[in-house]
Amino acid sequence: MAEPSTRDVAEVMRDEMVVRDRITALIRNGPRTIPELAEALGYPSPEVVFWVMAMWRYGTLVPTGKAGADGYYRYRLSEEHPVPTEQVEASHGQGQP
Amino acid sequence: MGNGGSHYDVLVVGGGIAGMESALTLGDMGYTVLLVEKEPSIGGKMVLLSKVFPTLDCASCISTPKMAATANHPGVNALTHTEIDEIIKRDGGDFLVRLHRKPTFVDPVACTGCGQCETACTVALPDQFHYEMVARRAAYIPYPQAVPKKALIERHGSSPCSFACPAGVKAHGIVSLVRCGKYAEAFHLHMEDAPLPGCLSRACYAPCEAECTRGQLEGPVPIRLIKRFMVDRYYQEHPEPEYGPPEKRRGETVAVVGSGPGGLTAAFFLAREGYGVTVFEAASEAGGVLRLGIPSYRLPKDVLDRDIKNVTALGVEIRTNSRVRSINELKEQGFDAVLLAGGAMDPGRMGAPGEELEGVVDCLTFLREVNLGRQIDLDGKTVMVVGGGNAAIDPARAALRLGARKVLIQYRRSRAEMPAHDWEVEAARAEGVEFQFLKAPQRFLGIDGRVVATESLSMRLGEPDSSGRRRPIPVDGSKQTIPVDLVVLSIGLRPGTTPFAPELELEKNGRVHVNSATLQTSIPWVFAAGDAVSGPSSIVDAIGQARRAAFSLDRYLNGEVLGEAGFDERLPVVDKQAVLARSPSLAVRSPREKRELAAEGRARSFAEIEAPLAETEVRYCASRCLDCGGCSECRECVRACPANAISLNMHPEEEVLSVGSVIVATGFKLFDAHLKPTYGYGRYPNVITAMQMDRLLSPTRPYHHLVRPSDGKVPDNIAFVLCTGSRDYKVGNRLCSTVCCMYSTKQAQLIMGALPLADVTIYYIDIRAFGKGYEEFFEQAKAMGVNYVKGRVAKIDQVDGGSLMLHYEDTTERGGANQAEHDLVVLSIGILPNADALKLFEGEALAADPFGYVREPNESIDPGRTSIDGVFVAGTASAARDIPDSILHSGAASVQAAGYVESMRNGR
Repeated sequence: MAEPSTRDVAEVMRDEMVVRDRITALIRNGPRTIPELAEALGYPSPEVVFWVMAMWRYGTLVPTGKAGADGYYRYRLSEEHPVPTEQVEASHGQGQP
Repeated sequence: MGNGGSHYDVLVVGGGIAGMESALTLGDMGYTVLLVEKEPSIGGKMVLLSKVFPTLDCASCISTPKMAATANHPGVNALTHTEIDEIIKRDGGDFLVRLHRKPTFVDPVACTGCGQCETACTVALPDQFHYEMVARRAAYIPYPQAVPKKALIERHGSSPCSFACPAGVKAHGIVSLVRCGKYAEAFHLHMEDAPLPGCLSRACYAPCEAECTRGQLEGPVPIRLIKRFMVDRYYQEHPEPEYGPPEKRRGETVAVVGSGPGGLTAAFFLAREGYGVTVFEAASEAGGVLRLGIPSYRLPKDVLDRDIKNVTALGVEIRTNSRVRSINELKEQGFDAVLLAGGAMDPGRMGAPGEELEGVVDCLTFLREVNLGRQIDLDGKTVMVVGGGNAAIDPARAALRLGARKVLIQYRRSRAEMPAHDWEVEAARAEGVEFQFLKAPQRFLGIDGRVVATESLSMRLGEPDSSGRRRPIPVDGSKQTIPVDLVVLSIGLRPGTTPFAPELELEKNGRVHVNSATLQTSIPWVFAAGDAVSGPSSIVDAIGQARRAAFSLDRYLNGEVLGEAGFDERLPVVDKQAVLARSPSLAVRSPREKRELAAEGRARSFAEIEAPLAETEVRYCASRCLDCGGCSECRECVRACPANAISLNMHPEEEVLSVGSVIVATGFKLFDAHLKPTYGYGRYPNVITAMQMDRLLSPTRPYHHLVRPSDGKVPDNIAFVLCTGSRDYKVGNRLCSTVCCMYSTKQAQLIMGALPLADVTIYYIDIRAFGKGYEEFFEQAKAMGVNYVKGRVAKIDQVDGGSLMLHYEDTTERGGANQAEHDLVVLSIGILPNADALKLFEGEALAADPFGYVREPNESIDPGRTSIDGVFVAGTASAARDIPDSILHSGAASVQAAGYVESMRNGR
């Protein structure tokens, strides 16, 4: 698991606007859990929770069904979510948005 | 003090369950009631709960009918998002009330609550109604059951960057759009305020960056470079504008004199209004100072060309090689109005001997030749530039690029007085320009009519002159002869307004005399902007002024009263220290180093010096923005709203009224769990408060399911720590909160319903199940398997995987210090008095009890009555109560208030 976040909550939430494209790109390749997303993004998983839940709230992604045996939900793009015109590489900018 | 406008029988302060109950009771009795709620919805905290104890009825299902009834009751006027400023008791026994309605920036009549503004919004902020467990948007609807269910926009004021822009460009909006990857939208936003984004992204001195709050930390957000990326991307994808002339054309025509930044801007805004616009340009190519004064290593001409297309696409005609010599002639040609934006293009003269020699030129003439691509060979030559402003730097650097062996700038004052921007000076110095301060030529020496040397004197600085700068005084005996091949004089530019002197009132310095607010000249149908009005300034200043002049000219042609109203509707700028104070633990985010061509190589080339940012860099740079003003003014909500309900120019509305009686129903505050640092709240993500757990369990929860905030895992071993911040002398609150035992028991039962396999443990001092059905409710929880542990938790540590180790003292007869591991801990935080209630009254103070609650002098036999005759208290404003008790207490307060109103009516 990535390190816990000590950052200001408002700052973490602001970063959703940058990181959500990368999350979108990652789950387009298949559903992922929050720890998996945190690992791929290089962010602490508590921060990823903020972003994933905001993206769920605003209809970008949804859980695939029930939680797995490991206790984690996996997330996929919602069917209503439009394919972005911009293809954002999931791999860029490790460590910072 | 006035007598107040409207009158109500009773004012109820607070729209929670107690306030709503009071208002409804009084309304049903036939009294007129004003209910004032500071939040954007009535409902208080109850509507945010999952269920109520001990019946486990849905809290929303109980609250929302009362909310709707309150909002729709004919006798109740419910004002949300409204603050009471003061309440004053008057001699007659009634009360004067001052309040202000906070702007929502959304027309509540038009808004349908569809939420499309939220989806489009580009600013994420912590959602206070979800207790910061998830982000909402700056444009938001408080929660799905909100009454009224209307959107509002969180705006603290203008962000410093946007407020600093003379052209009114919404820098914050652009940054927030780029942060989201909405580059085209950012470009369009720029175009709403200034039509030359390419030029500004290269050659603006960026006052926005100078005011950026992040500049007080690691360095400002590089707004200009962010804009450059946006512009480059857009122009790459759109070589031609996407629009043509406006469909609605007007009959009037306008002549614009000058095609510099001011002229182009005025033409753009006037053409957009449908006027037929013709721009007259004396030079052979359009652009004014942008074309002729700024070398291409700072502003590539293809960028300027594309910017100009933004203007001409609207149908603007630019007539080059057309010098205007008479304003009246324009009128005779049929133009209905004229806008002068000729800039300051007349060179100043030194009046020194030899100034007429060949090889002594003014900076604009020199730069014009350079920028128009005329052949100038300075190979191996020595060039002296005279002056200390930015206009001296460009010819010096251009001379290097034309092959000069040596370029020196003589300035008669010191470096400290030099008006040129620091970065320009340093860039020139790095390229090899030599600066000679406190020196100035006194005469130019020539052979066969051509300059060969200057005779310069050293200077010392005397007292400040009228400009505020210290006056240079020649030093006797310091004469020095310097061989030169070319001298460029950059000693001040004047507006070229001389031909208009017979027609137009001019200042002594040749500037056009205008009304500073409207920019109307002495001829009513002539307006002026830019350097012709203000003297040499900057591109962005000229653009801002031209926009204002175009606004006034449009009003003039519409026959409207001229004035500033409607032009600048910015909110006051936010306080940077307040911005920093609300984000106390920001991560360090260093600015990206600016990349430029190496000084050695670039000094011989007109290629653009500054390197653009890559997309990843630009997103990173934009992510450093602190969203100072809350809303960024990106206007995505305006575009998204199908009801056209967004109204960003709202202002607070103050109101004064009178009421017969007051009921204080301001509710309670929750204990701030940060004040119990041994429990780790705020440090350990899986330590949450009971209010957060209630949100997680509610139908309108912040997460799709009950999962841990640390990693999204479903918890299977959850603990509650009762009496967090209550019955605790260490935190200054020895009172029992009366509801924590029961709401924790409620949550435990709900968790066991949601997560049947989960273990739930409640750590308690003693269980207080005092109300009807409470003991049975407690027993029911135990029967369901909730583990009650009598013990006081001393501290909580985070262990591997985000789980938590509780250290507690067993307070049963067994005794001893124990530990237990859980993967989610809920702090059952206590209830505290809301001190805001005590600040409502001016004059006679509302008394508090020893704990800070509103005092009821005879609570047992006279419930609801306070220390002020005619003021009553309802619900938890006077003590911690559960919901049934709050409702009962509200009934008592309502009857007391009705009695007071009747007694006043009857003169008793």
